[in-house]
Amino acid sequence: MKTLAVVVTTPPYSHLTITALTYVEAALVAGINVIGVFFYQDGVMHANEDISIASDEYQAIAHWQRLQQEYQLPLHICITAAEKRGIACDAIDNDKINNAFTVSGLGELVELTTKATRLVQF
Amino acid sequence: MTSIEQQSSSSAQENGLAIINSKAPFSSTHGKDALDIALIFGSFEQKVSLFFQGDGVYQLIADQDGSLLAIKDYLKTFSAFEFYDIEDIYVCQQSLSNRQLDENFHIDEVKVLSSIEFSAALNRHQHVLRF
Amino acid sequence: MSTLHLVRQSAFASNDFAQCLSVLDHQDSVVLMDDGCYNLKHSLMDSLIKRVDGSVNINVITSHAQARAIEIIAAVNAIEMSDVVELTFTHKKVITWQ
Repeated sequence: MKTLAVVVTTPPYSHLTITALTYVEAALVAGINVIGVFFYQDGVMHANEDISIASDEYQAIAHWQRLQQEYQLPLHICITAAEKRGIACDAIDNDKINNAFTVSGLGELVELTTKATRLVQF
Repeated sequence: MTSIEQQSSSSAQENGLAIINSKAPFSSTHGKDALDIALIFGSFEQKVSLFFQGDGVYQLIADQDGSLLAIKDYLKTFSAFEFYDIEDIYVCQQSLSNRQLDENFHIDEVKVLSSIEFSAALNRHQHVLRF
Repeated sequence: MSTLHLVRQSAFASNDFAQCLSVLDHQDSVVLMDDGCYNLKHSLMDSLIKRVDGSVNINVITSHAQARAIEIIAAVNAIEMSDVVELTFTHKKVITWQ
């Protein structure tokens, strides 16, 4: 079984994120089992509900949401990285966090890495 | 051998995570972010090895003092690697000599490798992250 | 022992591509993407192509090169993102140079 885990370190307003999204979607379309995307460093900014990107620009967050819904793709944000950037705290119903994303710890990255046959970083 | 056995025997040769550190320690948080991952893998008893290449080699050099820059000196945590069973620490010899650096590190157990050995050591791992 | 190398930075701006080349093994593959496409015109590319002898497989993502008005040279395969997914599993591991 081909299983893939992806680490994303770029924020939603970086054009590099488009490449990550295109890659993940291509993998899903190819029938690869993408067991999770782990957002680390500035990647956690994707879960920030307060980010608003001009409507004529690439909507990275909306695309992650779409992949999460269409493919039940697990999207994890690193809590330490998120707290540092002002978007996560103890509350489970945190309205600052986009509900397509799960607040996780680095332990989740360990889990994904152990389970995945391939790990790809963007 | 079944294909499953073949898979497991090949993962026995190539296991764990390799983290390549490529940035100098103080101007960015990449080194600290990489360290956090290494320590988590260590505490989950998963194999993790650290590679230092390019400006990443500056993270290993002795006598640095981040406190002069009001930076919390995460390099001090490197001395805890043995408690996390992080034993494989590799540095690229070419990167050191390009920067006129001696093999004077602030932790023991650093293995200085030629490019070919560095590449071969990387290849012994199943997954690679680079910061 | 093969590795897939995703190169995302211009060698005119960073040492990432040089570092990638220093660990590159024969049987490995390289994919130039994002600003990594500019490496097609870097002198390191010439030495890579000379060194290759056909064993290292060099690729560039077509749309990423075209968007930057970079001509894709004959020694390099023009590929799509779906090919990168395939390469991910035909190699044993992936290293991203960014």
